Amino acid sequence: MKDPPELQLVALRVYDASAYVTKLERNMAASARTLVFRALSDSTRNIHHVSRCRIKHLCCRAGITGCRGYSDSTEGKSTHFGFQTVPEEEKAEKVYKVFENVAKKYDVMNDAMSLGIHRLWKDTLLHTMNPQPGLRLLDTAGGTGDISFRFLEYTRSMYDRQQRLRAKSHQTPSWQDIADHYVSDKAGPPQSRAVVCDINKEMLKVGKQRAEKAGITTGLSWVVGDAEELPFDDDQFDIYTIAFGIRNVTHIEQALQEALRVLKPGGRFMCLEFSKVTNPLLTRLYDAYSFQMIPVVGEVIAGDWKSYQYLVESIRKFPDQETFKEMIEDAGFFCVQYFNLTGGIVAIHSGFKL
Amino acid sequence: SFALLHVAVQGTVSLQCSNVRRGFHRAALLRLASDSKSDTSVPPPSYHEVHTAGESSSSSAQGESSEDAQPNTSFQDQSGEHGEDYETEEQLQARILTAALEFVPQHGWTVEAIAAAAETLGLSSASTGMFNNGAGDLVLHFVAQCNAQLAETLAEQNNQVQLGQAEAKKTAEFLKDAVETRLRMLIPYIDTWPQAMSILLLPHNIPDSLKHLSTMVDDIWYYAGDRSTDVNWYTRRAALTGIYNTTELVMVQDSSPDFEETWAFLDNRIKDVVNMANTAKQVQATGEAVVQGLMGAAITLKNLTGMNQRR
Repeated sequence: MKDPPELQLVALRVYDASAYVTKLERNMAASARTLVFRALSDSTRNIHHVSRCRIKHLCCRAGITGCRGYSDSTEGKSTHFGFQTVPEEEKAEKVYKVFENVAKKYDVMNDAMSLGIHRLWKDTLLHTMNPQPGLRLLDTAGGTGDISFRFLEYTRSMYDRQQRLRAKSHQTPSWQDIADHYVSDKAGPPQSRAVVCDINKEMLKVGKQRAEKAGITTGLSWVVGDAEELPFDDDQFDIYTIAFGIRNVTHIEQALQEALRVLKPGGRFMCLEFSKVTNPLLTRLYDAYSFQMIPVVGEVIAGDWKSYQYLVESIRKFPDQETFKEMIEDAGFFCVQYFNLTGGIVAIHSGFKL
Repeated sequence: SFALLHVAVQGTVSLQCSNVRRGFHRAALLRLASDSKSDTSVPPPSYHEVHTAGESSSSSAQGESSEDAQPNTSFQDQSGEHGEDYETEEQLQARILTAALEFVPQHGWTVEAIAAAAETLGLSSASTGMFNNGAGDLVLHFVAQCNAQLAETLAEQNNQVQLGQAEAKKTAEFLKDAVETRLRMLIPYIDTWPQAMSILLLPHNIPDSLKHLSTMVDDIWYYAGDRSTDVNWYTRRAALTGIYNTTELVMVQDSSPDFEETWAFLDNRIKDVVNMANTAKQVQATGEAVVQGLMGAAITLKNLTGMNQRR
């Protein structure tokens, strides 16, 4: 029996994909072969799925929501891995491998790729957060712990500053104040605590070594966990941050819902992520730099071209500032706003659980 | 093809429902912390509501999105029956700031006061991030609150005068009482008020603080009965602004019982202004008289010298 034309079309499309794939390593080609077989066997479902996507595209008011509908569909479980399309189950595994390979050189590469500007971005995140002493932070996809170290540093200096101001205004304490100070059993400064959660053990290992070297002993914990399924109870944390991690998550909406779950009422969700550049001139420079320079630097310093190719591609696949803001609002956060840094290369999104 | 059509209808409905959900959130309806977290208590909107809501993306709290708020009223109406359980983001922020005023004597006009207030309301102190202007938001909220209270008091007094239950005050006395009422609202926070004044003078806060000051002065003059449409409108408001600011400065360093010296100062300044106004009138009248006199003298001279005759 001759194949129906739609099936032939699907087969052609898959063949193109597989031709592209054979340029890469053998294990990736193997996964593509399984993709071809799966696609051929699920051809009818794919056809319905594709046509429904097109109809949604026509009916809905913007292509963006249509694309969201595409990735939300329960049939046809594939997603993007950089510019490739892979089955959803495989994306997590691939991402794990990428970060396993780069873990040891992660910090060096960050400095090389962003010319050190990533430190300013992370500092800006902390200043925007402006945490009071005594709060609990969950640093998801925290990897090597940059945000957590800065958080502990910030709250400590904030506490010192408050103590100094208090002492200044209390230059001549009355005998009553002095007596009260002796009597009251203050447990010491309110302890701020940070939990670094990452799906990748290698990154956490590197982070722990950094913490030891920096001499940070208290207030820091390291937990292995998946952002889509956090190993914490409800209402645990005051602040949830995810810095340069959410674009690697397969189901972003699920990660957002988990964030909502583990936050206390009044808690804040903050996301630092690469985003769409608004200035057209800067876009050209940025694209040229990303695609020409970064994989080369990755090969030279870390010996890994493909991981950094994935990195720059995944940045392009991530939704833009407004779309991501809507996603956060959909998850149930309020007062959602975003701040563009460095002309839109990086954006900080913030939302509250109220 | 029927199956495709069915799929299309489902697609639009689910899309509109997700828009409604977003619209619900962006119409800034929140539950109080005590309520359950699930969405089940909200009745599913009818198709008519879905259609009007589908186009809505009403303004969010921070003014980030500037879409129209036209269907917002329908939301409020629809949730009016359930309205007692819901409040908007702005209302929650106002609640936090009002609660923060209690902590001002202890922490000053700072973010710590807002953090302490958030904790008393059951929210984590991370929610202070909602206030992008930090302490400035707190001070401006307080100023707006005081001005609203003043306007209410003046309207009430005006009402009583209209009804004939009270006598109308003279302008000078009215101004004195209004400024005194307004300044008395600062008494609980007088120790930390210099800090608040310095916050109001920060460049990014100046537009807002000027706006509050000018609307307050305008309100006072309106209830004092000023309906002028000439340059007097400006001179009167400028004078009252000067009086108010200087009296405020005197008040923060006044240590007399119940701020007697401040009220005496206020009295003197208002008398000065009234005197000035009278003097200005007199000067004008005198000037006119002098000019007329000169004109008369000039004509007499011309008559005497014979230059005025028509030959």
